Amino acid sequence: MRPLRPVPAILLTAVLALTACTGDDDGDASDETSGATSTPAATNAPGQPGPGGSDVLGTVQRNGRVRCGTRDDLPGFASLDPSGAHVGFDTDFCRVIAAAVLGDAEAVDFVDLETANRFTALQSGEIDVLVRNTTWTAVRDGTEGATFLQPNFYDGQGMMVSTDSGIDQVADLAGQVVCVAGGTTTEGNVATEFERLGAQPPEILSFESVELVQQAFQEGRCDGWSSDRSQLTSLRAAYPEGPESLTILEGTFSKEPLAPAVRDGDSRWAQVVEWAVMATIQAEEFDISSENVDEVRSSSADPNVLRFLGQPVDGTVLDPGLGLPPDFAYHVVSQVGNYGEIYDRNITPLGLERGLNALWTDGGLLYAPPYR
Amino acid sequence: MARPGGRPPLWRDVRVLRVAFQLMVLAAAGGVLAYLVGNVRENSERLGIPTGFGFLDNPAQFPIPDSGFRQTQPVRDAIWHGLLNTLRVSLLGIVAATLLGIAVGVARLSGNWLVRNAARVYVEGLRNIPLLLLIVFAYIGVALTSFPRVDRAWEPFGLAVVSNRGVVLPWYDDGGPWLLAGVVVAAVAAWGIARWRRAVNDRTGRPEHTLRWAAPAVVAALAAGWLLSGASVTVPELEGRIVTGGTRISPEFFAILAALVLYTASHIAEIVRGSIQAVPLGQSEAAEALALSPFQRLRFVVLPQALRTAVPPMGNQYLNLTKNSTLGAVVSYYELARVTSISVGNGAPAVPAYLLTLGLFVILSLLLSLVVNLVNRRLALVTR
Repeated sequence: MRPLRPVPAILLTAVLALTACTGDDDGDASDETSGATSTPAATNAPGQPGPGGSDVLGTVQRNGRVRCGTRDDLPGFASLDPSGAHVGFDTDFCRVIAAAVLGDAEAVDFVDLETANRFTALQSGEIDVLVRNTTWTAVRDGTEGATFLQPNFYDGQGMMVSTDSGIDQVADLAGQVVCVAGGTTTEGNVATEFERLGAQPPEILSFESVELVQQAFQEGRCDGWSSDRSQLTSLRAAYPEGPESLTILEGTFSKEPLAPAVRDGDSRWAQVVEWAVMATIQAEEFDISSENVDEVRSSSADPNVLRFLGQPVDGTVLDPGLGLPPDFAYHVVSQVGNYGEIYDRNITPLGLERGLNALWTDGGLLYAPPYR
Repeated sequence: MARPGGRPPLWRDVRVLRVAFQLMVLAAAGGVLAYLVGNVRENSERLGIPTGFGFLDNPAQFPIPDSGFRQTQPVRDAIWHGLLNTLRVSLLGIVAATLLGIAVGVARLSGNWLVRNAARVYVEGLRNIPLLLLIVFAYIGVALTSFPRVDRAWEPFGLAVVSNRGVVLPWYDDGGPWLLAGVVVAAVAAWGIARWRRAVNDRTGRPEHTLRWAAPAVVAALAAGWLLSGASVTVPELEGRIVTGGTRISPEFFAILAALVLYTASHIAEIVRGSIQAVPLGQSEAAEALALSPFQRLRFVVLPQALRTAVPPMGNQYLNLTKNSTLGAVVSYYELARVTSISVGNGAPAVPAYLLTLGLFVILSLLLSLVVNLVNRRLALVTR
């Protein structure tokens, strides 16, 4: 709501002035000096979802909640447990961000989004951060008003078929039928792969929901089922006729770096989210887990580790000036865990190897910049 | 303080006030609109989201089945194919729903107990369920489950391949222009013959028998077109799981078309029933007194009067059917709204893309209304 026209701005000023009179005691110092219209941040009334407003960090701290765009239908990444709580890899990273910024991993409002409206939710300010299996691409960087951060999962698109279909490579599907839960880049990747193979392109059906793809696949409407390999693994694990009746073919035919995204134009908030995610990677590299973090914090002699956990070294505590508390990494690791713990909790049960998602020291791609 | 006989002051002059209030309302509405548009523009600009229509020239990055559209072609062409698919299901649906609706509406008033009640069950059953459920059921429950899987496909007489991947029928191979010419000639011939028979009937009183005269001419014209086009046919063949040749009715198209037709026909049937009941009873009694058969009564006396009142509400149903076709997105039918949403998923900016789709639907609906109004004007009672 930054670019206000005069009339609504006056109205809003009046409203703000009224609320300021009634609720003075819980407003913090910066609110009182605002003068309502002079600074853009002041028009961002607490708790009010408004587009833009260049101070997401301030809003999150005032509200005491992180609004995280996610989903509820992808076991392993983001789903609901029997009690209705959000569980999964992506939702754990929402908790990581909340633990880093607010010191409380449960201070998250999960906003379940459809694939088609996830960027709109981000653009309009309905959510603060999008952690929803979203591939970082050039077009999205350029036109969706989103800033992608360091990927927290490296994925690639694959193909799944019935085990008894006799299909054992992607090219065997030439001229047949491939189903996807689409509306995104998935359809195009399939078509491009068959073009690259020089094979007759298959008929590609694109459904809006995963459930309908599964129905169509079970009824024999499609021969292939394409999606990111992690999703295929997750769907295969939950397949009603048993995981062994499906086979994921060899070969990955696209790069799908899944990355958290924030709104363009707020680099401060982007850096905060970036370093919250990095903390999980750095913690694994330091061998700090939720189990040993207290012990490490009190007994470690490594200045790098102590600084990372916000402990004083020679009487000084490192505050890199990110806007995060100096001990944010301690909260992240003690409340949610390091990257390996989050992976083992959510993804390993699906049967997916670490692969590219191992630390750089183990031949993977995970590499955190130095914390100093 | 108005002088007697003079004009009242401006602020009390009804004529001035009327115009002034209208101007104020217009200005307020325009202001709100300008504020919203300005907000979209400024917010988009700040976030670096394009607001123009330049995205139409970007590659679409997704293919469209049954159309030959490839992922390397621009978004513009994808939207065009989406529009064609919307038109295809809407126009076929309107024709089929009209025929079925009139039949069921007439059956609702039949003297036959079974026919009357069957029509009633149909109407009450279908118009009382949500269309979305009907579409999903037509797809999963009928198109995918009732038809055999492709490895056990029916091949009646070796001419067609019927499976839950679609019904593939023999079709012409090439020579489209000649076939089209045949269709045009057939239509013109049928129209001309109908006029001629009408004139003969008017002059001599001999029965028209239009069908008896026109049918051979139409068949001859179509056959000539087909022969001139090279008389080539492709017959579908099943090899493994792949069908080659022929033309295909996909299960997705079948599901959306069947659901739209069944649903809309149940509404049209009620309109037709009401319109028939609005025709005074004396009309059909008079026809009976002239010894017209029940069919002739309906065809020449009752329906022409009933359809006159039925046309405007039927036009509404046509608009509904066209707009409801967007639900085809659920079952992967690539109509206009689905194509737009996939384009947006591939990086087309949401606001201009959806505005374009809305605009196309407005144009489509206005054209449809225009046709219905023309028909209505032609059918309207001519009073002098």
